[in-house]
Amino acid sequence: MSLASTASAKAPPSLLARLFARQELALLVCLILVLAFFSVTVENFFSVRNMTNVLGQASLALTAGIGCAIVFISGEVDISIGSLLATIALPLIIIMNDTNSLLLGVSGALLFGLIIGVVNGYLVAYAGINSLIVTLGTMFIMRGGVYLYTGQRAIPDDASLDSFIALSDGRLFNIIPYSAVIAIVLLAAFGYMMQHRPFGRQIYAVGGNQEVARLAGYDVRRVKFVCFIISALLATVAGIILAARVGSAQHTAGLNFEFQVVAATVLGGVSLAGGIGSLTGMALGVLILQFLSNGLRGLGLPTEWQLVITGMIIIAAVAFDEAKRRRANGG
Amino acid sequence: MSELTHTSAQKRFIGGQLLGSSQLVLGAILAVLCIAISIAAPQFYSEANIIAILRQCALVLIVASGMTMLIITAEVDLSVGASLAFVGCIGMAVLNSTHSLALGMLAALAFAGGVGLFNGLVVTRLRVNSLIATIGTMMMLQGGVYLFTREAVQNHNQLVSFTDLGAGYVGAVPVPVIIAALIFVVAYVTLRFTTLGRYLYAVGANEKAVRLSGLRSERLKLLAFIVTGLCVGVAGMILSSLMNAGQPTAGRGFELTVIAAVILGGTSLLGGRGSLFGTLLGVLVLKVIDNGIIILGWNQDLQMVVPGIVIILATYLDIIRNKANVR
Repeated sequence: MSLASTASAKAPPSLLARLFARQELALLVCLILVLAFFSVTVENFFSVRNMTNVLGQASLALTAGIGCAIVFISGEVDISIGSLLATIALPLIIIMNDTNSLLLGVSGALLFGLIIGVVNGYLVAYAGINSLIVTLGTMFIMRGGVYLYTGQRAIPDDASLDSFIALSDGRLFNIIPYSAVIAIVLLAAFGYMMQHRPFGRQIYAVGGNQEVARLAGYDVRRVKFVCFIISALLATVAGIILAARVGSAQHTAGLNFEFQVVAATVLGGVSLAGGIGSLTGMALGVLILQFLSNGLRGLGLPTEWQLVITGMIIIAAVAFDEAKRRRANGG
Repeated sequence: MSELTHTSAQKRFIGGQLLGSSQLVLGAILAVLCIAISIAAPQFYSEANIIAILRQCALVLIVASGMTMLIITAEVDLSVGASLAFVGCIGMAVLNSTHSLALGMLAALAFAGGVGLFNGLVVTRLRVNSLIATIGTMMMLQGGVYLFTREAVQNHNQLVSFTDLGAGYVGAVPVPVIIAALIFVVAYVTLRFTTLGRYLYAVGANEKAVRLSGLRSERLKLLAFIVTGLCVGVAGMILSSLMNAGQPTAGRGFELTVIAAVILGGTSLLGGRGSLFGTLLGVLVLKVIDNGIIILGWNQDLQMVVPGIVIILATYLDIIRNKANVR
C-alpha cells in the first residue's frame, strides 16, 4: 500500500488529473445512459419541465452532499445531517412566524447550524472522538430534541412570506428552480475552493495522509474542525430549502437523508478513506440517483423498487470502483 | 517517525490493559443509575420491572453479541434493523403456511444468515467498505420488505410454542432472556477462550499480519457477518412473537441502538479491541436509562436524547483515561 502511494506521488500531476477526469467521465457516461434509457422508455421524461423539476428535487442532496463530500475527503464522516435538517427548521419557522422576516429566520437557522457544526467539529477534531460515534450521538440528540420540543407535531409556516415560498416554487427566468440555482452556485464556489484554493488542497492533504499533512505544517485539527462547520452550514441551507418545500418544520424531516447523501457521495467516487474524490463526482452521483428514481417512477414502478435498485447500484458501483483501483495499483 | 510508532504502540498496549477498568467505569455508571432511579421511584426494583428490563435487553443483546464479533474484526453491519423486520415477516409467513415453528424458524435463520452471507461476500470479495455495503443492503431490505408485504403479516394459527418464544416464561425468567443468555454465553466463550475468537481479534487489530501468518482473514470476516445475520434471525422471530405479527415497519433505528450498545461497551470501531462483557453492560445501561425515563414519567422522547449524550460522553471519558495513563 505504501509502495503504491509513493508511486502515484511520483507520477506527474497530469496523470493524476487524468485519472480523476476518467472517474468523472465514467460517471458522466452513466448519467447519459440513464437519461437516454428513460428518454426512450418514459414519455415526457426528457422535457424541460421534468428535467428542471428533478434538478430542483436534487438540490437538497446536492447542497448537503457538498459538505458530506468535504468531510469524507478530510477522512471523517458526518451522519448527523438528516437530523440537522429537522432541527434547524425549528428556529427558521419560529422566528419567521414571530418576525415576518426571512432574513432573520435564515440567520437564526444558520446560527443553529453553525453551533451544531462547532460541536461536531470540536468533538471530532479537538476531543479526538471517532466521527462516526460523534455524529451518531448528535444525530440521536437532535432528533430526540426536535421530538421533545415539538411533541411530534409539525409547526406550520404561518408567515407565508413570498420570498420564502419562492425558494420552493420560484424559478429563475421561469425555468430553473431557485433551489437548484443555490445548489449550483454553492457547488461552483466550493468546487473552486477544493481544487484551487490552499484550504481545499489542505483538506485533500489531511485526508490523504494525516501524518504527512501534520509534518508539512498543516493544522490538521483546524482543517477537520472547519470541514464539520462547512458540512453543518450546507446541511442548514438544504434544511431551509426543505422547510420551504413542505411549508412547515416537520419533526420527521430528513429521516434517512444522511444515508441517501452518503450513498450518492460514495457513488460519485468520494472515498470513505479520505483524500480521494471530487465535488463534480459527488454531483454526478446525486444526479444519477435522482434521475434514476424519477425515471423508475415514470415507468410506474413502486417506490420500494427504487430503494432496492438504488441499494444494488451503490454496492455495484463501489465494487466496480474498488476493482478498478486495485488494477490501477498494479494488483 | 519511529518515536511516533513507538508511542502509538505503547498506547495500544496500555489500552489493552485498561479493558478491565473501562468496564469498571461502565459498571459504576450502571450502579449509580440503578440507585438514583430507585431512590426517585422505588417501583424500579419490583420484580415485574426488572423482568421487563431484561426482556427489553434480550433482543438488543442477541444482535449485539454478533455485532460485537463483527466490529472486533473492524467491520460493521447497518442492515440489521431492516433485516430484523424482513425476517419477522418471512418467519411469520412460513409459519402461517406450514403450521410448524421449526420450519418458520429455519426460514428466518436461512434468510437472515443469507443476508449476512451476502454482506460478507460483498465486503470480503468485492472489497466494498462495510459501512457502504450494508447501507446498500439496508435500502434493498427496506424496499424489499414492502414488496413482500404491504401490511403486517398476522399470526393465523396461534401456535403455543411460537407465542412462548416471545412471551413465555421458564420459572420466573422470560424465554427471550434465556435465549439471549445462551447466545451471549456461547459468543463469550468463543471470543474469550477459543482460537477462533483470538483470530477474530487478530483480524481486527492487524489484518495484514493475520494474512501473512497464513490465516484466511476474509473467511473470518465472512463468518462474523454470517453470525451477526443468524443472531438477527433469532431476534426477528422473537420480535414477531412478541408483536404477534410480522411488522414491515419494525426495527427502525434498531441498528443504531445495537451499535451504540457495542460502542458504549468499549469495543473500538477500528477493530481488534473490545469485549462481550462490555457489550452486556452497554445494553444494560441503555435499557435501564430507557426504563428509568418511563418509570420517572419523563417525556419518552428523552429516550433518544440521553443515549446520544451517553455514547459521546463514554467514548470521551475512555479517551481521557487512556491519555492520562500514557502520561
